[in-house]
Amino acid sequence: MCADNINKEINIIDSTLRSGEQTAGVVFSKNEKLRIAKLLDEIGIPELEVGIPSIAEAERETIREILKLNLNARIFGYCEADPNEISYCQDCGLKNVVITVFTSEGHIKEKYDKNKNLLLSKLKDTIREIKNSNMNFIISTEDGTRADLELILQIIHIAQNKGAMRVRICDSVGAFDPFKTFLRINTILSTVNFPLEVHTKNNFGMATANGLAAIRAGAVSIMTAVNGLAEGTSNAALEEIVMALKYLENIDLGIDTKRFREISEYVAKASSRAIPIWKAIVGTNVFAHESGIHADGVLKNPKNYEAFEPSEVGLTRQLVVGKHSGSHTILHKFKEFGIDLTDSEANEILALTRAMSVDLKRPLFDKELMYIYKDYLESKKNKKEDVEESD
Amino acid sequence: MRGINIFTEFSQKAGEKIDPKSIKIDDTTLRDGEQTAGVVFANEEKIHIAKMLDDIGIHQIEAGIPAMGGDEKEAIKKIASMGLNCSILAWNRPVISDIQHSIDCGVDSVAISISSSDIHIEQKLRKTREWVLENVRNAVDFAKKYNLYVSVNAEDASRTDMEFLLQFARNARDAGADRLRYCDTLGIMDPFETFMRIKTIRDIIGIDIEMHMHNDFGMAIANSIAGIKAGAKYVNTTVNGLGERAGNAAFEEFVMALKYIEAIDLGFNTKKFRGLSEYVAIASDRSIPTWKPIVGANIFVFETENRVRLYTADHRNYELFDPEDVGLETGVIIGKYSGLFSLNYKLTSLGYNFNENQLKELLEIVRNKAISLKRALFDSELIDTCNSYLKD
Repeated sequence: MCADNINKEINIIDSTLRSGEQTAGVVFSKNEKLRIAKLLDEIGIPELEVGIPSIAEAERETIREILKLNLNARIFGYCEADPNEISYCQDCGLKNVVITVFTSEGHIKEKYDKNKNLLLSKLKDTIREIKNSNMNFIISTEDGTRADLELILQIIHIAQNKGAMRVRICDSVGAFDPFKTFLRINTILSTVNFPLEVHTKNNFGMATANGLAAIRAGAVSIMTAVNGLAEGTSNAALEEIVMALKYLENIDLGIDTKRFREISEYVAKASSRAIPIWKAIVGTNVFAHESGIHADGVLKNPKNYEAFEPSEVGLTRQLVVGKHSGSHTILHKFKEFGIDLTDSEANEILALTRAMSVDLKRPLFDKELMYIYKDYLESKKNKKEDVEESD
Repeated sequence: MRGINIFTEFSQKAGEKIDPKSIKIDDTTLRDGEQTAGVVFANEEKIHIAKMLDDIGIHQIEAGIPAMGGDEKEAIKKIASMGLNCSILAWNRPVISDIQHSIDCGVDSVAISISSSDIHIEQKLRKTREWVLENVRNAVDFAKKYNLYVSVNAEDASRTDMEFLLQFARNARDAGADRLRYCDTLGIMDPFETFMRIKTIRDIIGIDIEMHMHNDFGMAIANSIAGIKAGAKYVNTTVNGLGERAGNAAFEEFVMALKYIEAIDLGFNTKKFRGLSEYVAIASDRSIPTWKPIVGANIFVFETENRVRLYTADHRNYELFDPEDVGLETGVIIGKYSGLFSLNYKLTSLGYNFNENQLKELLEIVRNKAISLKRALFDSELIDTCNSYLKD
């Protein structure tokens, strides 16, 4: 199905360094920004949004240094549609810029004094400055999913006439589901043929799914952030989008996914936001199996419970022994320790293991399993002696 | 597939109205949530979670696996006897003795669960499709003799050949099952595929369907919604999305997505969501990320200029619901991305009154401080900065 979408050129523009850094309380140091830019470039991310030049001289200095790295990735600055902002971008030596307009009724009321024409004239004035500086540009529509469709089409016509690279539709409050996303993108594209990009948010847990729905509807680019880092809830997480495109949509972007865990860890450290162990794709627990049914299934064939190999994202598989373990896990674990248990031994040790795990309210460490085993052997020996004595 | 034009269907479903009374939530925090590698609830915790869910208005609780015996069985027995408003369901393999354990517990509903995919049947169960169908029939037949509500769970339904999945569903329906649980055991569905498969089962077999979606690729909520759009009536959730690997569809996210994106208000007491999430976070020893949708502590804390300005002008500019709706609070912090409006807003709340020039100077000071400290500023640091500025 939808064969026309498969193997189409899909672009990723990662905004960990801009949208990600806008997270309340998060600030990357210059060295961290340089490192993150290099890491993303090394794994093959085609475009990076690296900061807002007008924020401070320190930010501009960082952007200049990122540009000096001569990465393969195309580097973008970000600013509001305001002609005065462009000189800051120029000052950094940027060749590409994302300019933002606020497009929903509520946003227009506050930002442009309820005046849609003010929005359009600011946009045109800013584009004039950009053209004078010979920069490429993307127009980003903040709260674009809730904007009047006519206005979005007007903006796309301006983009088309002025030679913008793409128009970005932002679901800034995460107001859409995949159905609405699909309909919106599809409707726009059936009116005007222009490259669209989406920026989806995770307010209701649908950022990744909405990104994919937009691609299905014909959008060509998705904005992401590592770990989904963003203000409020998350952006579409880079690692989720890339893996979902590969495994659910058969679109392999050729990115070196083996380094996903490494990059996620680095960004987690730099942003002081630990990766939840259950985080999709890169959480340490996503390849941990405890329950009897699952662990047994994985031991027989990992494909029973895993969509891809853990090494593909830089993780490892673990078998956790606890309340929900089954006898196969016990047999396997002890085999790893070099001990071959009989089935009945495994069952008896399983009962002891489950009881211990319930009592401790957690799974058991390998050492604890060995303690249980030693206690078990001793009690067996004692029983035997008891029997002999009674004879 | 079967003449469904996915593009037309998908577009048509975008704004479709669904009757809130037709949608039911079956929460499995106590079963699939606890099955998470490393998580064990104490019985007292299970009982408390069940009470909290019932209090919020949940329709059904999947309380555990009676066949495990011991503490597990005791907890289920207790939960089934507390006189909660919701239905209590227990999980079983298609084994008569398992169902007998459930009957001992006094639950009103049972899930009878077995893999339907060939890979699971051949490589995990080492049985045949016929064996699966026969065991389901016998188990459903037995459960129905005791007047239990019966859900038949198709484990790994997503990788099941569609023809066999239809046969599996028909077999369950004809044996007397009340619903089919569609388990995306590996979390490998996207909303398009989910929609098509659920619609196909609904159209051809007509049995009630429950969605059980995992979050391995971040799609659990979207896929659950796609299922509802395709005609599923039940959704299996867990608080905080607790569950094996990347977890399940999060209860609080799904309920709020239904309410605010799909206009399906289940009438739950959402004000208690943060409290419930905190309790489950502590009991499962997995803290709530501050950015977690719906209940994360930071989702209503703003720093960037535009967000503060637009949010304070009208909350709907940046959030579809208010923090109080889920038991959270809002806040503004000052950092690298603050601007004149947000700084003034914050400093006014701290009792200061600066003119525009002063604010411009202060803004530069606080932005540079945030950059050098690599974080936002504490209120006490802001106060200190303002006082020093006023002295100079």
